[in-house]
Amino acid sequence: MRVWRPGRSGLRIWSSDRFVPRVWLGGVVMKYAWVAAILLVASLQLAQAWDGAFVYFGLAAFTGFLALLLKRLVPAGLAALAVMVLAMSGGFFAARGASPDRDPTWVLLDTVPRLLTAARPAPATPELLVPGLLLIIGVSTVTVLSVTKRNTALFVPALGAAVLYVSAALLTTGRADKYGLVALVLVVLLALGWLIIDRRGPVVPPAVLATALAALTLVAFVLPTNGFEPRKLVTPPVTNVAIANPLPQLAAWAAQGEAELFRMRGPEVPVRLVTLSRYSGASWEAASTYGPLGVVDAPDLPTGGKFQDASVDLTITGLQGEWLPGVGKPQAVSLSNAMVDPDTGSLVVADGLRTGLSYTVRGTLETPADTDLSEAKVPVDATRYTALPRLPFTLAEYARQATQSARTPYEKAVALEQVVRLNRRPDAEAPVGSSYARLETFLFGAAGESGAGAGTAEQFASAYAVLARAVGLPTRVVVGFQPVPEQNGERIVRAADATAWPEVYFSGWGWVAFDPVSGNGSGPSAASKREVLNRLASTTAKPTPTSLPSVPPLVQPTPVQPDAVAAPEKPAGFPFWVFAPVLLLVGLYVARTARRVRLRAAGPVGAWHEVLDSLQLAGLRPRASRTVPDVGREWGDAGVRLAVLVDEAAFAPQPTRQEDSWRLARQVRKAVRRKASWWRKAVWAVDPRPLLRR
Amino acid sequence: MIDTGEVSAFRDLHTRLGDAVESAVRGKRDVIDLVLVAMFAGGHVLLEDVPGTGKTTLARAVAGALGGVSRRVQFTPDLLPSDVTGTSVYDPQTGQIRFRPGPVFANIVLADEINRAAAKTQSALLEVMEERTVTIDGVGHAVPDPFLVVATQNPIDLDGTYRLPEAQLDRFMVRTSIGYPSVEDELDVLRPGSGAGRIADVRTVTSPREVSAFSGRLSLLHVADPILQYVSSLGVGTRSDERLRLGTSTRGLRTLVRCAQVYAASKGRHFVVPQDVQDIADPVLAHRLVLTRESVLAGVTTSEVLADVLSRVPVPKPA
Repeated sequence: MRVWRPGRSGLRIWSSDRFVPRVWLGGVVMKYAWVAAILLVASLQLAQAWDGAFVYFGLAAFTGFLALLLKRLVPAGLAALAVMVLAMSGGFFAARGASPDRDPTWVLLDTVPRLLTAARPAPATPELLVPGLLLIIGVSTVTVLSVTKRNTALFVPALGAAVLYVSAALLTTGRADKYGLVALVLVVLLALGWLIIDRRGPVVPPAVLATALAALTLVAFVLPTNGFEPRKLVTPPVTNVAIANPLPQLAAWAAQGEAELFRMRGPEVPVRLVTLSRYSGASWEAASTYGPLGVVDAPDLPTGGKFQDASVDLTITGLQGEWLPGVGKPQAVSLSNAMVDPDTGSLVVADGLRTGLSYTVRGTLETPADTDLSEAKVPVDATRYTALPRLPFTLAEYARQATQSARTPYEKAVALEQVVRLNRRPDAEAPVGSSYARLETFLFGAAGESGAGAGTAEQFASAYAVLARAVGLPTRVVVGFQPVPEQNGERIVRAADATAWPEVYFSGWGWVAFDPVSGNGSGPSAASKREVLNRLASTTAKPTPTSLPSVPPLVQPTPVQPDAVAAPEKPAGFPFWVFAPVLLLVGLYVARTARRVRLRAAGPVGAWHEVLDSLQLAGLRPRASRTVPDVGREWGDAGVRLAVLVDEAAFAPQPTRQEDSWRLARQVRKAVRRKASWWRKAVWAVDPRPLLRR
Repeated sequence: MIDTGEVSAFRDLHTRLGDAVESAVRGKRDVIDLVLVAMFAGGHVLLEDVPGTGKTTLARAVAGALGGVSRRVQFTPDLLPSDVTGTSVYDPQTGQIRFRPGPVFANIVLADEINRAAAKTQSALLEVMEERTVTIDGVGHAVPDPFLVVATQNPIDLDGTYRLPEAQLDRFMVRTSIGYPSVEDELDVLRPGSGAGRIADVRTVTSPREVSAFSGRLSLLHVADPILQYVSSLGVGTRSDERLRLGTSTRGLRTLVRCAQVYAASKGRHFVVPQDVQDIADPVLAHRLVLTRESVLAGVTTSEVLADVLSRVPVPKPA
């Protein structure tokens, strides 16, 4: 490490080789400011993997300077050790609450799998913050202590930043730095520091820097697409839960009326209790496999392109069972024992709800616009959501007739909503059930028959879902609660608010709710639906129920028209990876230029290394056993004269000759370049090979 | 430490000496310089060549330019050691035993066709070369300073020769051959009245005292550590070469450094560079290497092996 004396700050002219200005921007303070800036940027980048942890991570970035203070009293190694021991003890006491009665090592080690199975971004709870903070403290300590050693002055900040950046990218699957801007900032910071502060450093760092930058850039761009996912290394605990289907309970809730189930604070959004995606022909069933929130499995159908987050606080006051009310697709729940089905987002607590249970749920609501949906397609391969075992012909034919003039999947969905609602009334007393038989009675039953044309939300939603599936729309049924108005800052949800609604999946936009009960629920707005219905007016009149009995009862769902289906579309973004090679080239050019600047400042020996660099670039690298005059002789008078200067600088007791060695080196370089082939000339300025040469 | 002024004075002297010798020996400046380097380095020279290439003329011209005493010994199979070193004789006038010095008591001794003498006689000469004293009847007699033996040797495959043992070849600082002159130089020599080969016309440009003084000073010339490391790795290179039975001894490497110092000064430099070592390596080291039997049969020469070693060992990098 070059000694940084504050007294030597200011502009200086380096005299060994003329006209090379030398800037020492404030010596030691400048250098530590540089390191601190790099650490801060990288730490804040990592903080994005947590929810609201910027303050902790920002502060942790500076712990290395604590070690620097300690270093005045004890050796550097001991100082680093002390800081780490301190940090780990703190981490243990912070994380102890999560797993009591275990030894410290286990507690600390267990925080990593915990983090990897937590939601994304992880809630800022102590046991989840510990691994990130320990990483930052370690990196910060090593970095700050190392920059006082010459050979690692540049290498370690680059490495530290890379470690933090890559960790952030892994924890957020690259979302933390979508466009590589933070990587760019780090690269610029590192390059600036090296060029201005440490320009006469050792030879290795440029090579290391270039490699690190290249790796950083590549990692940044590769990760979001098909990169390594650390969460796959952790096997999430999976629980099989056999819980009763809550659909039949809708009738019971309807009967209870004003009984209070839970209270909530937050925006006016529908609350979901459970999502049912399997239909057996007799009933709807919920998923049975649940894992911790934040497990890696993505939902089987991708999330839509437009969404917003909603966060609500809930307090259970009367609701029972294992299903935990939530909003949207849950991202975070403040209950540590809550589990989720990744496909539907249904939440359960294994030991059941109890009165007084209070928690916060943050979820993602898909919010497509009407115009988005009008031309949207549905996926062909979502057979799980179109399965209708042994579908009676009557229902299939009814669905076909109802949608025969509909052009797009959205129009079909709207038409069905209208058809199911028309001439049917909600009736809390109607018979329960969602079998084909019950639905046939609900849809086609003769007047006077029990449950004909009348049903609870169960029948409306089920009928809609079956008909929609029959025409190839991926559909599922959600049991939940209608949004209720706010009173005194609270929304009290009562049994009468319980309902069920169907959801249809549109490629690129996600699950969209429809409301066959009232027709103006939380789905697309009524105006857009009216427009669709007016267009379909001629055919949305009540379709004739076929008079055929259920013979032949077995038909397959109507095949979907090929033009109405497509593979899920990925939102087309700008391909930022094309910048990777450009960044790489810029990085190499900067490294090469920096090497030249340094060589120029190193007198005749530096000039000779410049000549050797150009010989290597031209593919004329001399054998190691050849002497300087021997090589120089081949390149004319300038080569001979330079060789004399170089030998004197290298082997004489006191160099005496005064001649501009860099000028001679430039002449030789020109001569060498003339002999190089065209492609060697083309990559001359960015060829990394000289960086690897000592 | 030796300074640049001293070095340029030496370079002038070296050039003058070289010019003087060249007036008698045409077109062999490199060999002349080498012999002069050996002289200033305090070593001896072995000239190995066929008869009639100017070996003797070279030795005598050097002696002439130096201005010291020069003697010549023609080695023959019946030559005795006392014929070389001198002997004690009875003086009837004084009635005492008196030492009569042999031909080695001179500044420059030309040992002509050294390989024609028996081993015993060769040893007598080689002992003087190393010790620089002659011990007769328990009394040591020092030879004058500077003391340079220029031995000539016919190629050993000629008839009637006794090959010099390896240990004794090591005593010579450099071994070289003169070789035939170029066509122009040969014409010059042949032309009547050219002055070539006329020893009497060689100008005396220095004195033995001056040569001794420079010789002592030049051993102080700067040699950087990387150069010493380079010389050392050359030694290791020869010792690890499979074609050699015997690599360079440490004495050989020391001699190489010593010669490189004088050689560098003769080029006007006050420090040694790797090129000096490379230039001087073959005459200094080649005759000290011993080939394995297989290599001899394969027709390999020690100079070839040494060239390989030189092309294999990396030179010290300027740093």
